[in-house]
Amino acid sequence: MRLGCTVFICVHRWFHFVRFAEGVGAKMRGLSDLVGKLCEASVQDFYSPYAGLDWPEKLEDDAWYFSPELISLFGSEAYAHLDAQGQKRLSFHEAVNFFSLNIHGERSLIEGLAYRLYRKGNDDYTRYLHHFLDEENKHMVYFGTFCVRYAAKVYPDKKMVLPRDYAPGEEDFLFFAKVLIFEEIVDVYNKRMAADPRLHPIAREINRLHHRDESRHLAFGRRLVKELFDRHSPGWAPEVLSGVREYLGDYIRSTWQEYYNPAVYKDAGLPNPYDVQKEALSLPSCRSRHEQVSRPWLTMLLRQGILTEDPYHDD
Amino acid sequence: MMTEAEIRQKLREWVVRQSGKIRPEELADDTAIIEKRIIKSVRIPDLILFIEEHSGRTIDVEQLKPGVFRNIDTIYRNFFAVKADGPGPEKA
Repeated sequence: MRLGCTVFICVHRWFHFVRFAEGVGAKMRGLSDLVGKLCEASVQDFYSPYAGLDWPEKLEDDAWYFSPELISLFGSEAYAHLDAQGQKRLSFHEAVNFFSLNIHGERSLIEGLAYRLYRKGNDDYTRYLHHFLDEENKHMVYFGTFCVRYAAKVYPDKKMVLPRDYAPGEEDFLFFAKVLIFEEIVDVYNKRMAADPRLHPIAREINRLHHRDESRHLAFGRRLVKELFDRHSPGWAPEVLSGVREYLGDYIRSTWQEYYNPAVYKDAGLPNPYDVQKEALSLPSCRSRHEQVSRPWLTMLLRQGILTEDPYHDD
Repeated sequence: MMTEAEIRQKLREWVVRQSGKIRPEELADDTAIIEKRIIKSVRIPDLILFIEEHSGRTIDVEQLKPGVFRNIDTIYRNFFAVKADGPGPEKA
């Protein structure tokens, strides 16, 4: 009787293993097909970041460089008290902060992508990582050129990576999930600003160029994040899984907070920049802007079971 | 100008508020807030802004060693117990 039960359990487990392996195999083929298409598109769309952008010698003060409705302080008292000239000056510093955030995000992305080239288990997508790396480096060229040429600086990165242990697959999953969240937010801003006729042409063009490549990176990231989660999360202990979800929730909040930089407010001539930041972050209009920008990809992560709590429906 | 005791109190309050999982009486100035994951790496930018606001000094993250945020003592020593016109944060 005991032997019969053991045999049944073994057969049952084997059956589930085979089904799981078949599922993973089918998904990997799906990823491989997507990677092939994305590689072809990257080759077709190959460009030089040193040509095609018309860099003005000097930027005029009386122009918008960031869509007013996307400015972090939009809707705050501090913003309302600025005259038109002050709002445009703030829009310039917000653009420098946005491009600086992209530079830092892309720098750590490039490090992570280079680390994952030709590593075991990444065979299906290593060939696309070459394009991903190449395109991220190009983005840093034009974001960096704007910041250094017109603001004589890049706003410093405040992030620090603290070493810790990871469950199998957890580090890879978190790396690509963070990249995806960061790029999803950026892409909404890019699309809106590329289409905003009020913006200075150089600001519109940088946003347009970035969106062109990011649409491919997002297609890759959406597929890979889901696949890494499905592949690794069944083996994670419950506390690892809840820790991953909690970390992603914190990462979303922290990513948004970087858009509210007291150094920007100081450079734009606003008094009490830390108070200004706190006021803006506490506004319902700020929260609803975050939610509106985040909703499509948040819905996707919730539907896929990667997140189980909606950060905007917690009260 | 805040006293050392006031600064330490503000730091403890910040850690308790941000962590959401430790009570004030459980947090001493030598509690390992990073090692015990009371504060996670994703909260470090918030902590840096908090320190900049209350110390009046800009922090160059590239010059920092991971140990500077080990506990309230190391944070106080590295960012508040140095003269405003003195050198940057000491090593942990």
